[in-house]
Amino acid sequence: MSATTYGWLILAFPLAGLLVISFGWRVLPGRTPGWIASGAIGLSFLSSIGAAIKLDDRPEDARALVDTAYTYAATGNFRVNLAILVDPLAIFMCLVVSGVSFLIHVYSVAYMSGDRGFARFFAYMNFFVFSMLLLVLASNFVLLIVGWAFVGAASYLLIAFWYRRETATAAGIKAFVINVIGDVGLVIAAFLILDKTGSLDYLTVFAKAGEVFPSNDGTVVAICLLLLVGAFAKSAQLPLHTWLPDAMEGPTPVSALIHAATMVTAGVYPIARTHVLFELAPTAQDVSAILGTATLVFAASVAVVVTDLKRVIAYSTMSQIGYMVLGVSVGAYGAGMFHLMTHAFFKSLLFMCAGSVIAAMAGNQDLDRMGGFRKAMPFTFVTFLIGALALSGFPLTSGFFSKDEVLAFTINRGGGYLALAVLGYLAAAVTAFYAFRLVFRVFYGEPVEEARELQSGGMAHHAPANPMTGESEDTDVGFPGPEHHVAERALPMRVAMAPLALLSVVAGALSIPGVTDAVENFLDPSFADSRFHNTMPSDGAQLLDLVVGGLMSIAGITLAYHLYVRRPGTARVIQERFAGLHRFLVNKWYFDELYDLLIVRPLAMAGSFGQRVVETDFVQGTIVGGATGVVRVGTSMARAVQTGYLRAYALLLLTGVLGLVLYFLISSS
Amino acid sequence: MDIGWFVVLSAFIFCIGAAGVLTRRNPLVVLLCLELMLNAGNLALVAFARMHGNQAGQVFALIVMVVAACEVVIGLGIIVAMYRNRLPIDVDEMSELRG
Amino acid sequence: MTIHLSIVLFLPLAAGLIGALVPGRAARWLVLASTVAVLGYVVAILADFESGSAGLQYVTDDKWIPELGVRYQLGIDGLNLFMVALTAIAWVPCTLVACFREPDRPKLFFFNLALAETAVMGAFLAEDLALFVVFFDLMLVPFYFLIGVWGSGDRVRATTKFVIYTLSGSLLMLAGAVALGVLATPDGGQISYSIATIQARGVGTGTQEWIFVLFALAFLVKAPLFPLHGWIPETYRSTPIVVLALLSGVLPKVGVYGFLRIVMPTMPDAAQHYQELMLVVAVFSILYGSVLAFSQDNLRMVVAYSSIAQLGFIVLGIFSLDPKGAQGAVFQMLNHGLVVVPLFLIVGVLAARAGGSESLSELGGMAMRAPLLATLFLITAFATLAMPGSGNFVGEVLVLFGTLQTHFVYGVVASAGVVLAAVYMIRAFERSMHGRVGGPVRSAELTGVGLLAIAPLVAVILALGVYPNFVLHRSEAATVSKIRGAQAVARGREARPVAVAEKDRAILPAGSGP
Repeated sequence: MSATTYGWLILAFPLAGLLVISFGWRVLPGRTPGWIASGAIGLSFLSSIGAAIKLDDRPEDARALVDTAYTYAATGNFRVNLAILVDPLAIFMCLVVSGVSFLIHVYSVAYMSGDRGFARFFAYMNFFVFSMLLLVLASNFVLLIVGWAFVGAASYLLIAFWYRRETATAAGIKAFVINVIGDVGLVIAAFLILDKTGSLDYLTVFAKAGEVFPSNDGTVVAICLLLLVGAFAKSAQLPLHTWLPDAMEGPTPVSALIHAATMVTAGVYPIARTHVLFELAPTAQDVSAILGTATLVFAASVAVVVTDLKRVIAYSTMSQIGYMVLGVSVGAYGAGMFHLMTHAFFKSLLFMCAGSVIAAMAGNQDLDRMGGFRKAMPFTFVTFLIGALALSGFPLTSGFFSKDEVLAFTINRGGGYLALAVLGYLAAAVTAFYAFRLVFRVFYGEPVEEARELQSGGMAHHAPANPMTGESEDTDVGFPGPEHHVAERALPMRVAMAPLALLSVVAGALSIPGVTDAVENFLDPSFADSRFHNTMPSDGAQLLDLVVGGLMSIAGITLAYHLYVRRPGTARVIQERFAGLHRFLVNKWYFDELYDLLIVRPLAMAGSFGQRVVETDFVQGTIVGGATGVVRVGTSMARAVQTGYLRAYALLLLTGVLGLVLYFLISSS
Repeated sequence: MDIGWFVVLSAFIFCIGAAGVLTRRNPLVVLLCLELMLNAGNLALVAFARMHGNQAGQVFALIVMVVAACEVVIGLGIIVAMYRNRLPIDVDEMSELRG
Repeated sequence: MTIHLSIVLFLPLAAGLIGALVPGRAARWLVLASTVAVLGYVVAILADFESGSAGLQYVTDDKWIPELGVRYQLGIDGLNLFMVALTAIAWVPCTLVACFREPDRPKLFFFNLALAETAVMGAFLAEDLALFVVFFDLMLVPFYFLIGVWGSGDRVRATTKFVIYTLSGSLLMLAGAVALGVLATPDGGQISYSIATIQARGVGTGTQEWIFVLFALAFLVKAPLFPLHGWIPETYRSTPIVVLALLSGVLPKVGVYGFLRIVMPTMPDAAQHYQELMLVVAVFSILYGSVLAFSQDNLRMVVAYSSIAQLGFIVLGIFSLDPKGAQGAVFQMLNHGLVVVPLFLIVGVLAARAGGSESLSELGGMAMRAPLLATLFLITAFATLAMPGSGNFVGEVLVLFGTLQTHFVYGVVASAGVVLAAVYMIRAFERSMHGRVGGPVRSAELTGVGLLAIAPLVAVILALGVYPNFVLHRSEAATVSKIRGAQAVARGREARPVAVAEKDRAILPAGSGP
């Protein structure tokens, strides 16, 4: 089989899984839908490996294969084929997406069992994976938008999975609408590309881009900025980030899959994919780099104070995507994609552990109520610790190599980029601090009641309630199910977490400066036409950067250790001393309030203004009123003639006849 | 004989009929006056037919008579129906069709 | 295979008449059978249709009123093919649902329903302007009765408003049509209302400009677009839901279809002259409809105002005077109909489960125990907001591309409508299906007739989303030929010789632009 056949198979399996589960959910017993879904994704992963191997057999300059199924839509110069582009970048993404998805599916089979929407959950999950793979395999901008919108829809459905929970549905709407804003940005960008290059196919566009656009031409900058709108909406980067923390309303495996490992990092992918355009628009690249850095700093600062376990990890996701965006914006495509991969490993691992902890807490996510789970949940503790180390960039873990590679590239660009790199290093220390704040607050300290219960072989059960609002719930469909599953007692969960933990540690070995370069080598053909193709920082500089990064990480961890283990209570003192700053951070820099003031309220006001004034006074009053008024006056005049008296009609008739006779008499004489 | 006399007579009868329709309140009389107007028309038709020397006008007059007969039958029917409903019958009180 | 369009046209009417005359309950089944038969016939036409040709196919051309030059002229090309298909598709589920709704005076009801199908079909099939006007006005009659007799609430007021609005539009169009036919006739020539003849003869620019206004008013009222939508709120509130699905799903298309069939070919100069104005009206309708849809509490009214916005997109595409825009508009006409019909049927289903309430504040949690209903509603809602996987996505993208091509700024403003559509549609879905179970709600799965009516429509939506080129391929040649004249005018007035013979005006060669 050729690489493209494998490409189609990558897409076919999740789609088949979706169809089987959607049509067969009534007859599939127990956990079968979960296993079907996992199997589909597993096969998809195997196909990705097959495609990667086939691709590797081909000569380096012939590793971009397009295969067309049929003409999707064609009119005038708008010609779109349903076609996939199989190249190293796409297959790299496929490997990451399908691999991580497979493990998360396996995890979910145990974690979600007992939920009344079990089959629906896996149908959505398969739909998501299908969409995500379509996004990365698309061979033209329209299919990219198709996949793009699909993942947005899947994300909406999964955030609002517990659909009777109003906080969840509200979060779903927010995510969906912000994603649609991104879609519109992409549509307009696609139009400009079609208008200027006459094509929507990646390869044609990239081949023509150099001759069509002069460097930093206004149009190409506009195209790139519009692409960034799409990318930033999806990746929750400033200023389109507000939906991601709310998206934590979804079930934890969803947070692990969509809002950590795959979809949110999808924003990085188009920047890498369209690097040809971005390199023609340095202004857009700079905008992207600056916003990426701003996001990573902002998100890290908020993650320090948030007390919701999942939301801390969500902010850390935003922050880490900031690094990736920075990487692909400064030309470090390989490094950006590498960080995307390692982040997928350790971040989904962290979410899985968090899910286990939340299950032990019987649904509660509040850090303030947790503590001392180390003994009760040894497996979760170890894996969480590994995830946190990788996130912190602790020396020799995967995050250590990938994050520093991005920053090394940034320093290598010199000039103003140095400032971005410095901010990146500072944020790395903050990252280490908040990662270990989680570790220490959840697993250290005095065991809470739930931890003691777990240790004694029981399991805490609270009356079902919404963790955000405290509203009481039941456990029927539309709310979380009655069962909770911790990794220690569910084999599929451990089976999924162990490989991720391993990868979080060793994946760094794929790209060690001066030793290996597996990721860059694999991706190389996709970025061969890049301006920055041969501007690698020297190994010496990279090693120096690694030392700095490692020190930052250790500093952050040490600080967290001092504040939360050596001298518990210090954190509260600091918080009270800087109450103003704390309030500012806890309120997420007041972005939500700002958008509410600037967008939501004016829109609602426009709606009620339209209803009250325009609709009532203008349309109904002036136009309708005017029209009916004319009719009413006319008919009342006509009515006055219709007296109902016979003689009046007769008189009218006679008068008419006389009038006619007179007219003829006068006109004839 | 000059056509003028016939026309003048016809117009005279027509005016009598019209005046009757407009002024009388008893529907029977109104119907009679209507008949008078129709016959005035008939007279003119026949006179002109003789003047032109063809039969068309006379045929028309015959048709008008048939129509008049039908009309009288219907009119009387209505009047009788109303007579059953209320007394006295007066044209001015029948204004149900007022707009 | 020989295809007779008169069969498509008069079969429902015949069934309605026979049903009204024979005693018993046969009427409804007879009419239902006729709509199914028409659908089957239309499917045969779709299969037989020769795509790629801009000309008319299956032409029926007979004398009708020779003194006035009016001919009984029917035909199908890529432009009306899918409008005919939409009509045939839409009537089947609506008739089906009506069959089980047990309306009072069923014979009259189904006669009117059948007459309505004939009238709408006639308007789409007519190739003679006078014939078009006849059917356009005939549409009013059955809907007048359907709303006035079987409506709810203040139906008298609603019908009156509906009739006054659409009738004034119709009368203006009648005047316009007569003027167009007469003024296009050369001295001593035989008068003709055939659209093709009028297009070939052409009329002067000044004449076009005032006739255009008459036609535009009629079509915009029918659509309706802001600010001529005053009849919408009351009429929509009173209309029985089955009739409303047709009133909103199919009837507006006749209006916008008229722009492409009649206005564009016969009045290209005027189309260009009023282009900006029409674009402003369209963009404003998009924004206004969306914002109002966002603030409605009644589910039915959400769909109603969303229709105004969607029709705004269609008119935007037409008057972008760009082949992509026009193609998108034609496709969107089909898509919008396919989406609105199931939406209204679902509103009916929801109301039946909520004790008759259509208020979003009283609905909620309907998805519970009704996964199938929720899925169908979700797909339809997603299609309304132009999610890929539905034809609406491609339609809307083409409309936006066309508009961006010729009027970039309008395109950008209109794309805000896409975002707003997401807001109001997801809000409506979420308020009715998700959240806490509302007070009067008894959620139950969709079964039987409802499922039979809605599921096939959703399947068609998805099919068009998977293979939109099925439509685009067939409609392209005809659609592009309709706007070619206006496009040429827009591209370069100066490029054309000033004194083009009246005759040549409308048949400028394809690439006569700069």
